[in-house]
Amino acid sequence: MVLESDIPNFLPWLLDQAWFFVRVVFALFCGSLLFGYLVAAIRNGPAKGLIVTRQVVVTAAVDLLCTSPRRIMALAWLSFKESIGQRLVVAFVLFLLILMFAGWFLDPDSPNPGRLYLSFVLSATNGLVLMLALFLSSFSLPGDIKSRTIYTIVTKPVRRSEIVLGRLLGFTAIGTLLLAATGVLSYVFVVRSLDHTHEIQPSDLSLIEKSGYQPGQKQGQTNYAQKHRHLVTVDGTGNGSTDIQHGHWHEVTRTKSGYELGPPLGVLAARVPIGGRLSFVDREGKQADKGISVGKEWTYRSYIAGSTLATANWQFENLSEKRFSTSEGPPKSLPIALSLSVFRTHKGKIERGVIGSIELRNPDTQLTSRIYTFRVREFVLHEIDIPRRQIDKADPDRAIDIYDDLISDDGRIEVIIRCEEGGQYFGMAQADVYLRSQDASFAVNFFKGYLGIWLQMVIVVALGVMFSTLLSAPVTMMATMASIVMGMFSDYVLELASGPEYGGGPIESLIRLLTQRNMTSPLPPGMMKSMVETGDSAYLFALRVVNFLLPNFSTYSDTDYIVNGFNVPAGLLLQHLLSAAAYLLVVCLIGYLFLKTREVAR
Amino acid sequence: MASKSRSKRKHSAATKPANPKPAAEPIAAVAAEKTAESEVVIETRNLSKVYRDFWGRQKVQALKSLDLEVRKGEIFGLLGPNGSGKTTTIKLLLGLLFPTSGEALVFGTDASDVAKNERIGYLPEESYLYKFLNAEETLDFYGRLFKMSGVERRRRTAELIDKVGLRWARRRPLKEYSKGMTRRIGLAQALINDPDLILLDEPTTGLDPIGIREMKDMLVALRDQGKTLVMCSHLLADVQDVCDRIAILHQGELKELGRVDTLLQLSGETELRIANLSDEAQQEIKAVIERDGAKLISSKNPTTTLEDLFLEIVRDSEARPGRRAKGKST
Repeated sequence: MVLESDIPNFLPWLLDQAWFFVRVVFALFCGSLLFGYLVAAIRNGPAKGLIVTRQVVVTAAVDLLCTSPRRIMALAWLSFKESIGQRLVVAFVLFLLILMFAGWFLDPDSPNPGRLYLSFVLSATNGLVLMLALFLSSFSLPGDIKSRTIYTIVTKPVRRSEIVLGRLLGFTAIGTLLLAATGVLSYVFVVRSLDHTHEIQPSDLSLIEKSGYQPGQKQGQTNYAQKHRHLVTVDGTGNGSTDIQHGHWHEVTRTKSGYELGPPLGVLAARVPIGGRLSFVDREGKQADKGISVGKEWTYRSYIAGSTLATANWQFENLSEKRFSTSEGPPKSLPIALSLSVFRTHKGKIERGVIGSIELRNPDTQLTSRIYTFRVREFVLHEIDIPRRQIDKADPDRAIDIYDDLISDDGRIEVIIRCEEGGQYFGMAQADVYLRSQDASFAVNFFKGYLGIWLQMVIVVALGVMFSTLLSAPVTMMATMASIVMGMFSDYVLELASGPEYGGGPIESLIRLLTQRNMTSPLPPGMMKSMVETGDSAYLFALRVVNFLLPNFSTYSDTDYIVNGFNVPAGLLLQHLLSAAAYLLVVCLIGYLFLKTREVAR
Repeated sequence: MASKSRSKRKHSAATKPANPKPAAEPIAAVAAEKTAESEVVIETRNLSKVYRDFWGRQKVQALKSLDLEVRKGEIFGLLGPNGSGKTTTIKLLLGLLFPTSGEALVFGTDASDVAKNERIGYLPEESYLYKFLNAEETLDFYGRLFKMSGVERRRRTAELIDKVGLRWARRRPLKEYSKGMTRRIGLAQALINDPDLILLDEPTTGLDPIGIREMKDMLVALRDQGKTLVMCSHLLADVQDVCDRIAILHQGELKELGRVDTLLQLSGETELRIANLSDEAQQEIKAVIERDGAKLISSKNPTTTLEDLFLEIVRDSEARPGRRAKGKST
């Protein structure tokens, strides 16, 4: 996975969004005031309407100021108590069943089983929790109004805002409970499903007698487990490691009776990437903003030509030895991850990949390391550990240290990448190369993923409660469900509503279908055409408005990070939390106003 | 010897909605004077309610220009056949419905004001309670909606459960309750905040005769504590027994308003109830009546009401279990 867009810095983002929020709230306030006045004026006449509107605003202000946490908690307890029984148990049992049968269908032979298992549990949990939130929130308030139990609530000194907030809290508590239970279960499921080890007998290992290997090094194959085997390399002391298969490797230790392989490593990781700034040097060796275009439509990546002076230079900042230290102490290498694309003008050996090289340079002293070559295969994330002991490019006798010599005093380093084969090109974008600093805890990252799901759940609950203050239970459920579906595919809907409309909007498409007209032939000009186009553009405009109003659930989902083994940045999480809170605030306010202005009795 | 006098009912002049005080007749005027001394708890002015359908078209005019005043310390009955606007009035007073025109004031503030609910208790037509809670949880929950400390809430909960006689079932979820038990816990929740004003919608429905008697006794006891009660009912006997004043509604209009004793008093008729009277004495009394030029409408052994009889039998059998109640079934 690469992060194609930068995560904006928190403070500028906050200021920007806060200003946006203020404008939205102001617009909503004015809009609802006008709408409320119009309704009141139609019902009571213009003068009385004004009085009624004023009264509503004043009582709303009083209600919001006098909202009591004690009563909210009492109502939340009620909602919790109402739903704690059957529904929660049903949802949990459902999840258990899903997990039980999942083992049949999740293939451990996939190239990256960690990703498969994680994406499965996260999406299963996400779906289940959102469904639970949908059902809980849609049926409760309309049920209370229908069974008239609401009478005994609203005749107590309970403000309508407390009813909305109490329900939101109660159902959130239920959802949280389910989420916690499924989270623990999922974690255990994933960890235990992926946990395995292999065996290797001393007789399976043989001495390597090739150049480039140290004396005493042995290699051999492990036994077959979890549908794969590893190549083991051990040094003279008998300790070593395996190669990477299915996204993981094992440590090998010498025991009295033979060799022992540890648990799989690297499969459940939370990488913390450090991104850099990309600049180019063209084939003549001059600075350039971009590389060259190879004529692809997607201009995300630009290319450097092989075997020329062209390089792609990344500058990384704020580095220190500490950021890369591991649990075993100071770092032994600088981990660099690359996912470059390759454009070939001749086929070469597809299997072998294209050779590239890396140089590290201190931007202040211009001290440069000797080149480190690697092979790029398309569509593969290469994780290269460049040993910290390097040799000066200018003076082969001088040993240098990456952390001491190549990282400048203010923590900067340049990574220079070249394509070493003539006629071949490397394509790259800023996010394609990153330094991998010390990994974060996977368990914490997993928890962060659940926090994303939790936010989605709270938003669904709030939407359900908001709709249920006005609509009956089935209609509420439909509305909430529609919001979830549209929110999940928000980007697609936006594209649909604002993209190029081949064949026009729904009305035009229907006419084309009925008249068997193809998508590109223009409609016959006239009254009909303009009516159809006006209707369609009104519809698409409405779709855009609705899409804008509904939450974009995919932005809250951090599943991609977890599944691909990246740490969810704290700033991103904070952004999600804040934007969800702002959204909730508006939704609750609308819910309150709906409930306030309606008669709960019939 | 007990005597009751009955004759034709007198109309008080309160049928005109614009005039809230029925002061045309001397007795009603006295009553009005008496109540005028205490503070007005409920006041409706020109209160009207129209039910509309989804499109805003008028469906029913449930209440037409109602003017009422209920004063502190009385039991006020709203009387009328089904669909006469009793429940609508109560819902308007509670802010469950919004008036189409006119206003409803409770404790001097608008009925839609939430703060007034601190001093109000409401027993709905059927006790709409949460079935998954038990009696203790129910009262505790409603208690938490008021400014009550935990200690006070627990004390009050225990007290009320005892008062409505549900101590034996206090841990059972309400879904297992019979209708009468639900009614009792409903009353308990209405009293959780020790309200000054209690609104009761058909308080005696679903109760057995003992329950009805206990409910009535409780209502009177509450009145005696200085609380104001407003109840609506179509059971005349209940209203007659407990209410100080009543309003009779029909098709959303106020038809009658006044003190119960005044409204039911029948001047010009005399009823004698005498125990152990010999036949000769009966003849003599008839002769006296004839001599006086009065007309004897009927003469018979008076019957007790069914309610009284039932209660007596039950009390008798509770006092002496296993025996038939004496002398009633011969």
